[in-house]
Amino acid sequence: MAKSQTKTYQQLSDELNKLIDWFESESVNLDEAVDKYEQAMDILKRMEEHLQTAENQVKKIAVKFDAG
Amino acid sequence: MDGMVLAPADFVALLNQTLEFAYPSVVIEGELSNFRISKNRWVYFDLQDELASVKFFGTVYNLPGPLEDGLKIRVVGSPRLHPRFGFSVNIASISPVGEGSIKKAADLLATKLQAEGLFDETRKRRLPEIPATIGLITASNSAAYADFIKILNERWGGVVVHLADVYVQGAQAPLQIVRAVEYFNELSSLVDVLVITRGGGSAEDLASFSDERVVRAVAASRIPTVVAVGHEIDISLAELAADLRASTPSNAAQLVVPHRSQSIAGLATARKSLGDVITQRFQAAAQETQSSREYLTAQVNLLLSDRQKMLQSTKKLMSAYDPRAALKRGYAIVSKQGKTIASVRQLKPGDNLGVQLADGTIGAKVQEV
Repeated sequence: MAKSQTKTYQQLSDELNKLIDWFESESVNLDEAVDKYEQAMDILKRMEEHLQTAENQVKKIAVKFDAG
Repeated sequence: MDGMVLAPADFVALLNQTLEFAYPSVVIEGELSNFRISKNRWVYFDLQDELASVKFFGTVYNLPGPLEDGLKIRVVGSPRLHPRFGFSVNIASISPVGEGSIKKAADLLATKLQAEGLFDETRKRRLPEIPATIGLITASNSAAYADFIKILNERWGGVVVHLADVYVQGAQAPLQIVRAVEYFNELSSLVDVLVITRGGGSAEDLASFSDERVVRAVAASRIPTVVAVGHEIDISLAELAADLRASTPSNAAQLVVPHRSQSIAGLATARKSLGDVITQRFQAAAQETQSSREYLTAQVNLLLSDRQKMLQSTKKLMSAYDPRAALKRGYAIVSKQGKTIASVRQLKPGDNLGVQLADGTIGAKVQEV
């Protein structure tokens, strides 16, 4: 089950949630905020692309589960 | 063979060869009686009908779950003549048959596993929100498989489904399902969620999903596991042992992945709230700068007015000390040769004096001291 190089939707979603939490925290540095906002927009774009284009794949396991 | 004399061991060997050739595998269905387990390992019973009774022998690993006399079961096995204990059928697999027996066997197993805590709610784990990989155990040519994949594709994309193609009914099904569950659990990189599914069918068709070996494999799975068997009303014991039960194969797909339209809406909301929050942050910072500016201005003004007041009072004090003020009130400053005279002892008759008044200085001479 080797994971591909690109991030999974769940990983992107986790990163986005971290950024949202950061924005909702008490002390937000404005210089950092601009940077993080751009990161968040980039992640959102990749998540939307995933939702619009990603297709499921079925891989049949080449193992026989017969007895013996 | 006529007239041939055999030793008992040779006869047994000969008969077994013949049996193996003629009946490598037989399927016998009948009522279970004299069921017993010896040393927690060996299983003995008879199958009977009105006319005959046949002995069977096997191990506990062949059992689909607890059994009791009176159940109707189907046994797959091979007939053998044991050199000492006589004839029996060696068991390959056992399955209860007929709705009544299947239900009875499932009830016996349910009671046993319930007591062991296999169905406890506390054992159940949450499924991952969005799986990247799914292990799917089903028959690849089944409607269940087609339904699951169809709904999965409708709802979500980007998932890799690893399909273990197994029998989902019949004598081979329980062990194939168990092996597939074990296969997924032994991988070095586990799939995110395991789905075991099949469509509806008769009680007999679904019996594999109430087989003790299958139920235990589901309960032991390290991977969060969903079991979906049959239609809404069919409940198998494997479903009770699973982390999550789905009513149908389609429902399993609904439970393992979210719908992309919900996620698209969620992302739009996230985008808007991020925009709002950064705007608010900048407005707050601008407001803070403005407040700081007002505060600083007020502080500087306060300081200035303090200093001004202090200056005024100093000025007043200084003017009180100004000798010219005394001159204006009629006092005079007397000096001799430019030095101010403060005592009569500094003077003698005939000294020339300067007498300074408010508006000028006059000359004078000392008459007497």
